Amino acid sequence: MTRGVLMNAKFRDLLVTNFLAIVLGLGASALMLLLLDKNPIEAFGILFSSVIRDKYTFADIFVKATPLIFSALAFAFTFKANLYNIGVQGQFYIGALIAAASSLILQGRMPGVLALVIVFVLTILGGGIWGSLIGFVKAKYKANEFLVSMMSTFVALGIMNYLLRTVLMETKHEYPQTNALDTTVWLPTFIQGTRLHIGFILAVVVAISVWILLYKTPLGYRIRVVGYNSDAARMSGINSKRLYVVAFFISGALAAMAGFTEVNGVQHMLLQGFNPDIGAAGLGIAILANANPIGIIFAAILFGALNVGGTIMGQMSGIPSSIIELMQGFVMVFVILSYFVRSELETRRAKRRLFKAVEE
Amino acid sequence: MDTPFFELRNITKYFSKVVANKEVSFSIQKGEVLALLGENGAGKSTIMKILYGLYKADSGEIIMEGVERKINSPNDAMALGISMIQQHFSLVSAHTVTENIILGNVHGRIDSKGFEREIGELAKTYGFEVDPHALVKDLSVGVQQKVEILKALYLKARLLIMDEPTAVLTPQESENLMQFVREFTANGNSVIFITHKLREVMKVADRIIVMRNGEVHGDLKCSDTEEKELSRLMMGKDLIHPNRVEDEMSADSHEIRLQFDRVSVVEHDQVPRLKDVSFSIHRGEIFGIAGVSGNGQQELCEVTCGALRSTSGRVLLDGEDITGLTIHERIDKGIGYVPADRHKDGLVMEMSLAENMMLKASYGKKWLHHGLLDKDALNSYTNTLIKEYQIKAPGPEAIAKGLSGGNQQKVIVAREVDNGSKLIIFDQPTRGLDLGAIDHVHKTIFAERAKGKSILLISTELSEIFTLSDRIAVLYKGVIQGIFKGSELTTEKIGLLMAGYDDDKGCIDER
Amino acid sequence: MIDLLTRALMMSTPLLFGSISEVFAERSGMMVIAIEGIFLLGAWGGFVGTYLSGSLLIGVLAAIMAGVVTAAIYGWITVYLKQNQVVTGTAINILAMGVVSFLHRVIFGVPITPLTVQPLQALPIPIISKIPIIGPVIFNQNILTYMMYLIVPISYFILFKTSIGLTIRSAGENPEAVDVAGINVNRIRYSMVLIAGVMGGIAGAFYSIGYLGMFTTNIIGGRGWIAFAICFLGNWNPKGAFIGALVFGLAEAIAIYMQSSGGVLFPNELFIALPYILTIVLTITRKSFNVPAKLGVPYIKES
Repeated sequence: MTRGVLMNAKFRDLLVTNFLAIVLGLGASALMLLLLDKNPIEAFGILFSSVIRDKYTFADIFVKATPLIFSALAFAFTFKANLYNIGVQGQFYIGALIAAASSLILQGRMPGVLALVIVFVLTILGGGIWGSLIGFVKAKYKANEFLVSMMSTFVALGIMNYLLRTVLMETKHEYPQTNALDTTVWLPTFIQGTRLHIGFILAVVVAISVWILLYKTPLGYRIRVVGYNSDAARMSGINSKRLYVVAFFISGALAAMAGFTEVNGVQHMLLQGFNPDIGAAGLGIAILANANPIGIIFAAILFGALNVGGTIMGQMSGIPSSIIELMQGFVMVFVILSYFVRSELETRRAKRRLFKAVEE
Repeated sequence: MDTPFFELRNITKYFSKVVANKEVSFSIQKGEVLALLGENGAGKSTIMKILYGLYKADSGEIIMEGVERKINSPNDAMALGISMIQQHFSLVSAHTVTENIILGNVHGRIDSKGFEREIGELAKTYGFEVDPHALVKDLSVGVQQKVEILKALYLKARLLIMDEPTAVLTPQESENLMQFVREFTANGNSVIFITHKLREVMKVADRIIVMRNGEVHGDLKCSDTEEKELSRLMMGKDLIHPNRVEDEMSADSHEIRLQFDRVSVVEHDQVPRLKDVSFSIHRGEIFGIAGVSGNGQQELCEVTCGALRSTSGRVLLDGEDITGLTIHERIDKGIGYVPADRHKDGLVMEMSLAENMMLKASYGKKWLHHGLLDKDALNSYTNTLIKEYQIKAPGPEAIAKGLSGGNQQKVIVAREVDNGSKLIIFDQPTRGLDLGAIDHVHKTIFAERAKGKSILLISTELSEIFTLSDRIAVLYKGVIQGIFKGSELTTEKIGLLMAGYDDDKGCIDER
Repeated sequence: MIDLLTRALMMSTPLLFGSISEVFAERSGMMVIAIEGIFLLGAWGGFVGTYLSGSLLIGVLAAIMAGVVTAAIYGWITVYLKQNQVVTGTAINILAMGVVSFLHRVIFGVPITPLTVQPLQALPIPIISKIPIIGPVIFNQNILTYMMYLIVPISYFILFKTSIGLTIRSAGENPEAVDVAGINVNRIRYSMVLIAGVMGGIAGAFYSIGYLGMFTTNIIGGRGWIAFAICFLGNWNPKGAFIGALVFGLAEAIAIYMQSSGGVLFPNELFIALPYILTIVLTITRKSFNVPAKLGVPYIKES
């Protein structure tokens, strides 16, 4: 009985403090608007109304959320094993590269659906292998994965930029970008009048699968044990080193999926400098959702909404696009503060229970 | 002389889970040795940490020489001449002895040579053999304790608080420590030492404060009391010590289950951690390893369970050579391991009891249902164990971190007893547990022996070794000093062996 | 060639400032993940201060202030509220980007032509700078680089030969020992983070007012992270950090030289990636590390 009530109190705390954090974060951004002599209430009014104003804009929230779900899952997955994958951005680039290159090669030679499936498989394999290298050097050489993964992004960026300027360059040879993808290898949209493609559905399905993997399978169990206590894991016969490689493979594959959905679902080509913040935003979303795959879906949608709304705010009232980063940054900081608040509340609650018990 | 040196009056302290101290009052005179006696969890460490400024009391006063003082930090305590040496030393292992002693006591530029000289002389004055230039991590535990004491002496401490100081010493080293205490107090200084060992208390204390459940239950002069009364005050009732259950058949006649054949663990040019260790454990036998911590016990456990590879020698289980098997493979062979450091090696604190029960079985099919984890089966299994071992927990989904130490240990014991179908290693199984839990663990060990399992028991508590073991081996610097039947050993003899002194008589040679 | 070496030393200056402050912070147990954001705030503060006042000195002071404010927030959340350093640092870095872009717009609107200031000039030291080769390379630098020459030995001395250095190092190895000795661990760690704010701010300012003479939001481009990596590769020692900073400064100088001279000796993009590949290789091959035992672990005690 008491346990049921306890569970509710904690969950209640979680919802309330997260909601407050989002409100405070947006509020802080609103205050910043005053510096630009903009009316924050008006601006945010536009934000909220624009987000639901028409089908296209509303659907765009989910379009923006799709790659964020993948990159957040990528970071969260290794985070569960107490590993830091800071190379999500680079793994995304590799995924995008493979998706673009293989689409261009396969298009027209086979039915689009088959091509898409093959492209997908190649993408996750490539991203997985690229990511697993990090896990490998950690397992074999005890290298610090934080640094290695961070550096790997710059390397991936270099590779991508180089290939875009040479081998993969468009036939016009005017800009460092690929040719446009044939429509047969575009991810189909499933709501008329929007650009919401099935990549979003894929993202949700993958998020649920990751949740099942983490909490319902022995592999996920072992990953979580290693993340919480690598000593106990070792004493229980769990092979941490192999797990590092597996975790980074899955993480890299997840990040690469974002590349696939962006290239085949949105851009329909590959160019330099696109989605440069997917990695960092994914990290932020993973934090917001406390690395829970289901929570990530919602947090990514939130960030997607901030993105779309921020862009509209920019179009309508001349507010700079940096308002998006401002909102995301403030919300993240307040969510971190909410972690602290929640743990304090829990400690006070426990002390109060103790006083009561002593008095009896 | 009538005004006490230090006095604690009505100190009360709450933590988030327990009332650690309730209206605790007592005092200490100059030149007096005060023993703070009680079983684990009685509140002894807490009250001393309050005196030393590490914790803040919720109510009560501290009075020095008749004047009330506020002690809000170790700085305040040190200014009054109070020094505390904790159970887990506060030393920086990567730094030298000198660097550790001068930490916080020096300003500006450090004249290393000058300080090293000064500390070398201080050590000589007290007869301590400590090299000021040595790195702490290279020192034995006994010497590390001396470094801690030197630190207090360097600060000109007048009241020295020591928390379970003899837990890490051989009987001879304990004697040296007691000698130091006598000399120190002869100069008008005072010592409070926290302990749960009755024998020590009777040997060196002038007065004894007995604590139980956070309250003072006895304040007696040593000369006015004796062990039985102290024991009763500590426990709250007369305790009947669990007696050894003598088997009708002697253990020798059973088959050999675990065998160590000249196992050595040597790293590069360092001192061997285990050297030519050979012994056998029969089925249905409890084999105890006695010795001061750090003499190879950890390595012995790890070689048995597979966490450490021996450099030479073999390990055999039921005649099969398992030297090359991984931890995982050995778990499958039926070796259970209750580790000494339960928070680090035994449990995942942030996970539920049920998930912890599964810790050793994640690779098998035991908990799978259509490829996914079968939560219901796991929960009901956990519930069964909770009832059987009387684990005080709300249910299988309770988080391990929320349980008391004793109950956490019960979880580990329950799991390992189930996993260890052939051999169970118990490493310091009752450290930090209250008497009820200790009793339960001992009963479990006897019960498993009755089932025919082999038990490898490592403990620094000699009374526990004697109570439980069929045969006892003494480990000193990685070498077995001898293997004996319990009845052949006296405390004095085992103490000598633990310190490495050779004894010709009464050794059973292991074949 | 002399130009190249001169530029190399120049480009290592901000990396050295950043990495040495990271060494001190990490020795006390704190990873300053917000370093990229601190660099950015420093670059922006320096630019704004210089542009609005016309004085480089005021610019540097503004950079320091901006860096310290950022570090103060990061430090408060990680040292006192005990939150995860990677998570908090990332949040601060994202927020920093937003704040800097936004405030830049607030102050300057959307300028038609990019705003510029006169960057730090080189101050040749009389006589010594005439010595062949090493003269112009080492002694014809700007004031920040001259400060770098002093900071390395001073840092080494403080960290290993003074009591405060001992305390800092102990706080990262075993904070309990420091606590028991009566020293406030949180205060030590927070101070180190603030110092990272000061030096990181100066480092960031180097890019805007010390070298380029302008400001863009991409100006730091990951160099804060390089400083972070250098602390690691330099084995948490100011001497090692100096060498690391020199290596990366040289790599950057070569990259600039290649780009400006138009020479395509090597695929440009891959060449730019070389320092990062080098970091990966070094991270893998390093055998022994002086990692402070409690790096990244918040110090929590029951009281």
